[in-house]
Amino acid sequence: MTQEFEGRNEQEAVNKAVEVLQLDRDEFDVEILDSGKWGLFRKGNVKIRVHVHGDRVTPEPKIHQAEQSDTSGFEQKVIDYLETILEKMGYLGEVQVVYRREQKIGVNIISDHSAIIIGKKGKNLDALQLLVNVYAGMLEGSKRVVVDAENYRIRHEEQLIRLAYKTAEQVKKSRKSKLLEPMNPFERRLIHSALNDILDIETKSEGDGLYKQVRISFRGAGNRGKNPRS
Amino acid sequence: MEKDLVEYIAKSLVDDPAGVVVNVIEGEKSTILELKVSPDDIGKVIGKQGRIAKAVRTILSASATKSGKRVVLEILD
Repeated sequence: MTQEFEGRNEQEAVNKAVEVLQLDRDEFDVEILDSGKWGLFRKGNVKIRVHVHGDRVTPEPKIHQAEQSDTSGFEQKVIDYLETILEKMGYLGEVQVVYRREQKIGVNIISDHSAIIIGKKGKNLDALQLLVNVYAGMLEGSKRVVVDAENYRIRHEEQLIRLAYKTAEQVKKSRKSKLLEPMNPFERRLIHSALNDILDIETKSEGDGLYKQVRISFRGAGNRGKNPRS
Repeated sequence: MEKDLVEYIAKSLVDDPAGVVVNVIEGEKSTILELKVSPDDIGKVIGKQGRIAKAVRTILSASATKSGKRVVLEILD
């Protein structure tokens, strides 16, 4: 069996494969299709093809794992809670656990009403996630819960990183700083780390509270060439 | 219905579910939901800087888009 995955770097693509296929890293081989290195500082996505040893069918081990790791009934309670809220909102949906980590689980909402469930800029998805986490925090064996629908969160992450690179290029050209719109800590961290190793560009958060704005500014002026960062 | 939704969410957050009461005031264009909880539980439905209250309102308005009617949530103390 082979399957293709994409990520910002090789590690991320591999992690995605591990997550989706529910396999350990040593159970498949990785072939890099596109190393994503094009342009001076702009990194594209890395594309990999995964070759799974033997033709193992995935659903079976998945179910097995679910029974093993959900001893306290934590996952079922979270699923029931989310499904009940969706039902009472008037948007029937099915909730599935898509990945499990030591500290968190990821759940996906499958529904005909995804657009409303996600909301403008993921507003409704964030609200659902917040409530589920407050509820989950009171349960035994509590973990953080990441709520997604239609892969919105992954797509949104990619979009933010593209925005970061695009804005950084504009800032390099114009040498004028740019202020991005307010973002939550997770989103800001994505921007900071995406631009962390780009020369001449500096990122800083401005403002108060949970939703701060990232300012991307140029810092090469004056000392370019003279003072190469080593 | 929105009343059920608020009731369910509020009860899931508080220590004293029996203390949760939701009153519905139907207006022409909007519905007002008044949420009452036990005094000790008010913080639980509001949250730090109103984060939980805000999330509940967001979910309510998402739910209300079906009917096109505005739904307002008031938390009474």
